[in-house]
Amino acid sequence: MTGEPIRLTQTVKGAGCAAKLAPGDLDRALCGLDLPVDDNLLVGLERADDAGVYRVSDDLALVQTLDFFPPMVDDPYAFGRIAAANALSDIYAMGGTPKTAMNIVAFPAKTMDISVLRAVIEGGLATMREAGVVLVGGHTIDDPELKYGLSVTGYVHPAKILTKKQLRTGDKLILTKPLGTGIVCTAIKAGLAGTEVTERVIGNMATLNRVTAEVMADFSLNACTDITGFGLLGHLAEMVVDSGHGMRIDSATLPHYPEALEWAAMGLIPAGAYNNKKFRGNFVTFVESVVQTRRDLCFDPQTSGGLLIAVAAGEADSLLFALKAGGVAAATIIGEVVAEPQEMILVA
Amino acid sequence: MTVEINCRGQACPAPVMQVRDILAVENPAAIAVLVDNEAASENVSRFLTHQGFQVSVEAMGNDFKVSGGRDAACEVMKDTELAALAGGVKKILVVIGTDRLGHGDDGLGAGLMLNFLKTLKEMGPDLWRLVMVNNGVKLAVQGAESLPVLQELAAVGVSILVCGTCLNHFHLLDRKEVGEITNMLDIVTGMQVADSVINI
Repeated sequence: MTGEPIRLTQTVKGAGCAAKLAPGDLDRALCGLDLPVDDNLLVGLERADDAGVYRVSDDLALVQTLDFFPPMVDDPYAFGRIAAANALSDIYAMGGTPKTAMNIVAFPAKTMDISVLRAVIEGGLATMREAGVVLVGGHTIDDPELKYGLSVTGYVHPAKILTKKQLRTGDKLILTKPLGTGIVCTAIKAGLAGTEVTERVIGNMATLNRVTAEVMADFSLNACTDITGFGLLGHLAEMVVDSGHGMRIDSATLPHYPEALEWAAMGLIPAGAYNNKKFRGNFVTFVESVVQTRRDLCFDPQTSGGLLIAVAAGEADSLLFALKAGGVAAATIIGEVVAEPQEMILVA
Repeated sequence: MTVEINCRGQACPAPVMQVRDILAVENPAAIAVLVDNEAASENVSRFLTHQGFQVSVEAMGNDFKVSGGRDAACEVMKDTELAALAGGVKKILVVIGTDRLGHGDDGLGAGLMLNFLKTLKEMGPDLWRLVMVNNGVKLAVQGAESLPVLQELAAVGVSILVCGTCLNHFHLLDRKEVGEITNMLDIVTGMQVADSVINI
């Protein structure tokens, strides 16, 4: 390539998981649909979980998921890595092991050099290789804006599925990656983020949740999800709905990019954060002393975010120690499951 | 004179960046920004507030008019100044690698350590983080005389990190009562980020 390196974020309107359709709109489109019934469908659309699970036999179930989005970083190879890590994450969040994947690509062939597409796919392949996943095919359409992602299939033992439900009072909540990728990527798009923070956020977004999944498999957990486009509180709200439990989050403990707080104060907040707040704000009570920028962090849409694990209080410190020993440096206990008030998240 | 700009049809962060450029070039005392979505309206309001403007928002059909004014036109802050401002207080990190202060008499050292921890709060908001390593982790476990003092510090927002490898070594993992388990990367990153590091 000659001249200036391409800046992918300048070619698209949305960015990463912040480009998700507003959750309220999606709910309106999906509610009341006549869905097929099958006894072997263990986790389906009506559960709104991270991935679908279909039982093949008593000891084997398929886990399927799909994720794709427009670029949130400028470098094509990095974008490919991040998109793949993000798509694979849903399988890990279900307690599964990803095995095969197919590329989903929208590419503006008229305005972008084909070498960009190659770099994106190479990035995706690098991450798939790291995950032990084989690419089995794909589909590419010509489209005004670049988009990339994967459809992933994995497997899980039917007794070891981790859904968003089955919370227990007293469970500690562990988050494994720093919050603020939506805000940091908005600053990247605005040209305000320096190289160091850009590389840091790319590194975290491109990191698979594989180690976390492998470590947590040795613990007796019931509930897990991955934190992506709906933001921390959006995904926590999905966990507490109909669970008979509530949560208490300590905002001072939230792992985050320090720069994100400053940029949030400047108004560099992705539109998705406002959508998330509007859709899930009624599940959340903030203690008055929680400053605005911390609240923003809680609704910020995450691209390839960490896993959120609910673990029995007695095992929380051992799990945290094992995660950190495995290199999951950001892992932090951010709160706990409480009996009352039900279906509410208190952020203190 | 009020500078008016039309940012309809623009997605975040474009409106904020356009306003920022105008403040940098024209430095107006009043500005009115037209946007067509709530997120842009909120973000532009925040940016103007951040730059010292009094802000009001008016809904106009599907659009929003964000108006800002300030008494004396002042310089737009440079990014480096913004960063310094966001820093605010100093960050002091204290590494505690022992459960006794000083060498010589162990009984005296234990008492001094307790007194040291009690007095640390005098640093006020500058005291950012305590890192407990080696014998230091014994200060953070069940039954330690220093436990209530550390819990008090944690309650006022001092971050307390306790070395996981050390707790494991002393078989104290399940007896830690205060602070977060940490690893060497956290410790080293903390040292890099801190304004000053004190070793005990």
